[in-house]
Amino acid sequence: MPIVVNLDVMMAKRKVSLNELSERVDLTLSNLSILKTGKAKAVRFSTLEAICKVLECQPADILEYVEKN
Amino acid sequence: MANTRFIFQVLHVIAWIFFVGLCIEAGGIIVNFVFSIYNPEFVSKLYQKLDLSELYNRSKWIFFSMYSFIIVIALLKVLLFYTVIMLLLKLDLSKPFSSFVSSQISQISYYTLSIGIMCLIAAQTTKNLDHHGYDVERLYQFWNDGKAFILMSAVVYVISTIFKKGVELQKENDLTV
Repeated sequence: MPIVVNLDVMMAKRKVSLNELSERVDLTLSNLSILKTGKAKAVRFSTLEAICKVLECQPADILEYVEKN
Repeated sequence: MANTRFIFQVLHVIAWIFFVGLCIEAGGIIVNFVFSIYNPEFVSKLYQKLDLSELYNRSKWIFFSMYSFIIVIALLKVLLFYTVIMLLLKLDLSKPFSSFVSSQISQISYYTLSIGIMCLIAAQTTKNLDHHGYDVERLYQFWNDGKAFILMSAVVYVISTIFKKGVELQKENDLTV
């Protein structure tokens, strides 16, 4: 998919673990893992809002469009 | 929801009764077939007393093709009800849109269509044989419901297509975070 999820990069920058993020965002570990590995088909605005709030970043820091060759 | 569950349990029991009945019928027809080749005198004492010895004497080809129709239709009906039982057994009403349920419903529609087409071909063949003076009056009972099966297959096919879309939506929903 041309949309790349950079959640792991932001998590590393903010030094937040997957467990901690899962607790603070109120998402299950499996759902967060689906998002992190790029398997997700869609992201709710509420989820994006919560992640951005916890990681203190913009949606563009998490989602990136990469042209597919 | 409890009401629906009860209806499904009743349907399951009915499907089992039909399945056992159709197994007995298919078995009886196969035994009839074997006896009508090796011991035709004994057929009058068997299930449905299906004596096609006259057909056998006039044309073996017609005899075998008519028996093939009867046996294949009986076995397809058994397979159909086996699929229905499996569907009712594994159907989870809290999460019905699974790929298993979708494939089972598709299979049901294919089996139903096959039975319908076989019944129509067999009915037309029997009519032709009747026209040529063969005594095939007793065969009509095996394929008098062909049109109903074709109509049912169309309805089930529509349901299976809706289910396929439902499975896609369910998968998308599962992968939405």
